Amino acid sequence: MTTLTDASARYRKSGSARTGLLHRVWQHRTDYAYVLPAIVVMLIVIAYPVYYTIELSFFKTPPGLQLREKSFIGLENYATILNSSVFWEVTWNTVVWTVASTFFAFLLGLVCALSLHREFIGRGILRAILLIPWVVSAVAASYVWRWIYHSDFGVLGALLVALGLATEPPNLIDNVDRVLPALIVVNVWREFSFAMIMLMAGLQTVPEQLLRAAQVDGANPWQRFWHVTFPHLKGVTTVTVLLLAVANFNGFIIPWIMTGGGPAGSSHIWITHIYELAFGRQRWGVAAAYSVLLFIIMMVLGVFYVRALNRSGRSREGA
Amino acid sequence: MTAISEVSRPRRKRADGWRWAGRIILFLMIIYTAAPMVWMFLTSLKSGFAAMQFPPQWWPKEPTLEHYAKLLDPSESIGADFIRYFGNSVFVSVTTTLAAVAVAVPAAYAFSRFNFPGRTFLFFSVLLRNMFPAVIFLVPLFILMRLLGLVNTHASLILTYLTFGLPLAIWLLRGFYDNIPIQLEQAARIDGATRFQAFLLVVMPLSAPGIIATAIYSFIGAWNEYIYAYTFLSRHDQMTLPVGLQRFFAENTTDWPGLMAASFMMSVPVVVMFLVLQRYFVRALTEGAVKH
Repeated sequence: MTTLTDASARYRKSGSARTGLLHRVWQHRTDYAYVLPAIVVMLIVIAYPVYYTIELSFFKTPPGLQLREKSFIGLENYATILNSSVFWEVTWNTVVWTVASTFFAFLLGLVCALSLHREFIGRGILRAILLIPWVVSAVAASYVWRWIYHSDFGVLGALLVALGLATEPPNLIDNVDRVLPALIVVNVWREFSFAMIMLMAGLQTVPEQLLRAAQVDGANPWQRFWHVTFPHLKGVTTVTVLLLAVANFNGFIIPWIMTGGGPAGSSHIWITHIYELAFGRQRWGVAAAYSVLLFIIMMVLGVFYVRALNRSGRSREGA
Repeated sequence: MTAISEVSRPRRKRADGWRWAGRIILFLMIIYTAAPMVWMFLTSLKSGFAAMQFPPQWWPKEPTLEHYAKLLDPSESIGADFIRYFGNSVFVSVTTTLAAVAVAVPAAYAFSRFNFPGRTFLFFSVLLRNMFPAVIFLVPLFILMRLLGLVNTHASLILTYLTFGLPLAIWLLRGFYDNIPIQLEQAARIDGATRFQAFLLVVMPLSAPGIIATAIYSFIGAWNEYIYAYTFLSRHDQMTLPVGLQRFFAENTTDWPGLMAASFMMSVPVVVMFLVLQRYFVRALTEGAVKH
């Protein structure tokens, strides 16, 4: 990513590589003016909260948002979390929610992207319709699905009865075992089209000649997809899957509006649990410690994300 | 028979099977995508009594626009609230969008063109913002906003929303600028333009599709945001639509048609805007994010 084209290298006036860092910073001082607003905003809204959260995670806090009489307790908040039985339950829910949502959103997005790749009449309209869930407000979508899943008057239950698949409308989001799959269906509905457009963009980078060549060599459509198309989508796939995974891991609105973590905590994931701990039970210290653990997981994913971006950037410049 | 026709013949037969599979999948996916939205609209046309039936009225027997009329009537309390929330949402989203474009454009340009020390580091730090969920910033940001005296103001939301939109905006736009030939600016420089003039008068107009895409993304993000609006604003007259929607629900739990009507009206502006401008967005992703 840092390698630059010859043209832009010539364009820049900068001197030899031997000049000191400070000198180079000074030389480029006007460049920073362009990025400064972005950096300042990011610093205010990210750096301070990150620092504050880490600090808070080592303190015992009183309820209420004044947070004046906090006392240092070291790692006790972390111990509380890891020793609670809820922790493992919530973690398991989070894993199921994240992995299943990401997998199905990617799979459906890929299938749609492949189906829409070929030019045909009405393709633009179909693509537009498929993209709508992605732009509709998550709050509105959650209420709509809550109404669809309604245990007495929900249209889905009625449909199952009308088709003879059930004798009476099933409880979907009021049932401990079914609530998580039901929420995953909503989540996938909302975000598969993101994977779809990313992959549609990626598909355009697959060279047509290569597919022809494979065809001439007798590869069937599946072989052409697996050995030619898919390897070209590797960069996009990594970025898309990572972005989906992060968005799902942090997906708050759908579980919060649809079930609030219920019934009996069976649809609590990390993020809703943290919110509940902080704003419901006002255990700010424990919630902060949870947040720090979440930071760490995100940073690990973040390293992969940056590396994936870097790699696809480099292969681009090489090509 | 020549070799070419031998190859292309069997291909057509096989491809047809795959094409049919594609059509069936698209058909099913359209139902999955559209059915909830259709049901939202159909429910919003029913009276409260008609909605609460089992089996449901698949098609509203006596369609009514009463819920829409109620929401748009300023003389009723629900209508007055809804209109105010709508206005608040428009204000917050438009301001966020303008600010996001103003901040993202120069930053993306600098990341694309200039080679200042720390460029890569700063670029990836900005992108990392995507990794942080909104919820864990709530408490510290709430305290920060109180410190800045911004609680219960729209400024607190605008400042926060800016940071959601920025990473993707900068990323997309940088890809766009990478694809604009540097020779165009060089020509302008030779003709006597300053570096800033070359940027403003030559590069900016060429990157208009990317800027439009960035603007849509920021607008939709701000229009739909819920968590911060829910936490930072406690005064009713300041609320934005997603929070207002939740308030309606909390107060009239059984008024599903009314809730569906409000959801529908809330979705219309973003969906219409997106449908009109989506080709820019798709193009920006194609050219910016997945360059070739």
